[in-house]
Amino acid sequence: MAGTKIEFDDIRIGFGKGSDRKEVLDGVSFSIEDGEFVSVLGPSGCGKSTLLTMAAGFLKPDSGRLVVDGKPVTGPDRDRGVVFQQYAIFPWMSVRKNIAFGLTLRANRRSRSEIDASVDRYIELMGLGGFENALPKQLSGGMRQRVAIARAYATDPSVLLMDEPFGALDAQTRGFMQELLHDANQEERRTAMFITHSVEEAIFLSHRVVVLTGRPTTVHEVVDVPVPMPRTAESRTSSQFIELRRHLEEVMRSMTTFTAAGAPQ
Amino acid sequence: MSRLLGRALWSLGGFALFLVLWYAVALAGVFPPGQLPRPDEILSTLVERFRDRGLLLDVRLSVLRVLIGVAVGCALALPVGFLLAWYRPLRLMFDPLISFFRALPPIALIPLVIVYLGIGEQARLSILIYAAFFSSVVVIYEGIAATDEIYIRAARSMGASQLELFTRVVVPLAVPQVLVGVRVALGVCWATLVAAELIAAQRGLGATIQDAAGFFQIEMVYGGVVLIGLSALVMDRLLALVMKRAVRWQERVGG
Ligand SMILES: Nc1ncnc2c1ncn2[C@@H]1O[C@H](COP(=O)(O)OP(=O)(O)O)[C@@H](O)[C@H]1O
Ligand SMILES: [Mg+2]
Repeated sequence: MAGTKIEFDDIRIGFGKGSDRKEVLDGVSFSIEDGEFVSVLGPSGCGKSTLLTMAAGFLKPDSGRLVVDGKPVTGPDRDRGVVFQQYAIFPWMSVRKNIAFGLTLRANRRSRSEIDASVDRYIELMGLGGFENALPKQLSGGMRQRVAIARAYATDPSVLLMDEPFGALDAQTRGFMQELLHDANQEERRTAMFITHSVEEAIFLSHRVVVLTGRPTTVHEVVDVPVPMPRTAESRTSSQFIELRRHLEEVMRSMTTFTAAGAPQ
Repeated sequence: MSRLLGRALWSLGGFALFLVLWYAVALAGVFPPGQLPRPDEILSTLVERFRDRGLLLDVRLSVLRVLIGVAVGCALALPVGFLLAWYRPLRLMFDPLISFFRALPPIALIPLVIVYLGIGEQARLSILIYAAFFSSVVVIYEGIAATDEIYIRAARSMGASQLELFTRVVVPLAVPQVLVGVRVALGVCWATLVAAELIAAQRGLGATIQDAAGFFQIEMVYGGVVLIGLSALVMDRLLALVMKRAVRWQERVGG
């Protein structure tokens, strides 16, 4: 079924009152089609996390319409899986229990054998074999985010919302995690909204990239990524990739100078 | 295992050094004769009391009183702590009141308790429950209130109901802090117990010390002090063991 999965329509929000008032999103509109992987790219502090938090249902816009699966978003829902910027896997549970958590809730209750099968599948998909019984504190940052992604997939959401999940990782782990996520989603085919401030990451993972301006934030442009799917490490060196990267890096740089030259933050 | 043994040896060393110093002071005659008994005199007094005068009953009574005080006080503090952490208006309303009662030393209430409840077991236990409740409730609710919102959000985005959030996220996250609250209550209860028994009890370690002091049995006064210290230490260590197991998942590894 093709169609629009997520729609942001003229979203506005600001924080604070009086002279402390800070306008953050100043009429942001874009949409994500069914089965699409879309990255949202923008300078730090422009409101990317705010957008995702709204889509997840934890925050209401001051004005504008936010529709997922044809329904206005009114709160969090098991149909929208979220992977957070901070490590949000439950520290007191093993890897296995973390991934199974959603499936043991009343909202998605499955039989024991279904849960086991599902958990096994995502452990395999995210390369977590051998770590089933490890506690989060024993895992590296990259491994923790793999668990978080596996946990989000496990409840079978119709869209996946990811907020800079690899933001805290070192460059090498980051590249590897991008490839792992890409391969996983090639199998899973979930509609995804992926927040990042890395041009490279946005291009590698996405069908389309939504570029935001600095605050007060609007959509600067939306670009199609002309690099064929599925992507591999070699895709990064293809001429289309490099050309688009040059363009987006230029855009990001101009926005940073613009912000720095503008009003003090 | 050998590291554990090493640690045990070091802490025994501390006690040994303390005993040596004690002997030195006792034998040097710093105090007039009869005022500072030697450790072995205290030990033989204790042995004799255990054998002939039922000292074990006093130890058991005191330990039992503390256990009941901590158990009931913390059992009450737990739901109250959760309510305060969960509902902001309740917290705003009762926080100052709780701070007031917590700042009030339980011992100061003993005369009042005697007026209303007499000097029976009921009176002693009420004081201990009071002490345990007010010393742990703040620790417990502050711990629960500090629950990281991110875990709540993660669970809600997977479809957790309010009840599931509470039982499967808030409670497990709170366990370490609840145990800290219990530990604080344990310390406060021992301090309060002795005072409560000094004033109004026939048996128990506090009462034993009081009696011994009345008959100038300085060895037994010291013996009582040692037993109180030992009992409190053993209970604290046992709880520390439980905590170590219960908080294995925490990042910060305590000493
Ligand atoms: N709950 C909030 N209260 C006040 N200010 C907020 C809140 N959430 C976000 N902001 C502000 O909104 C701006 C955008 O934040 P965020 O969405 O986290 O940016 P990004 O994820 O793009 O780095 C920041 O300046 C931040 O300080
Ligand atoms: Mg952010």
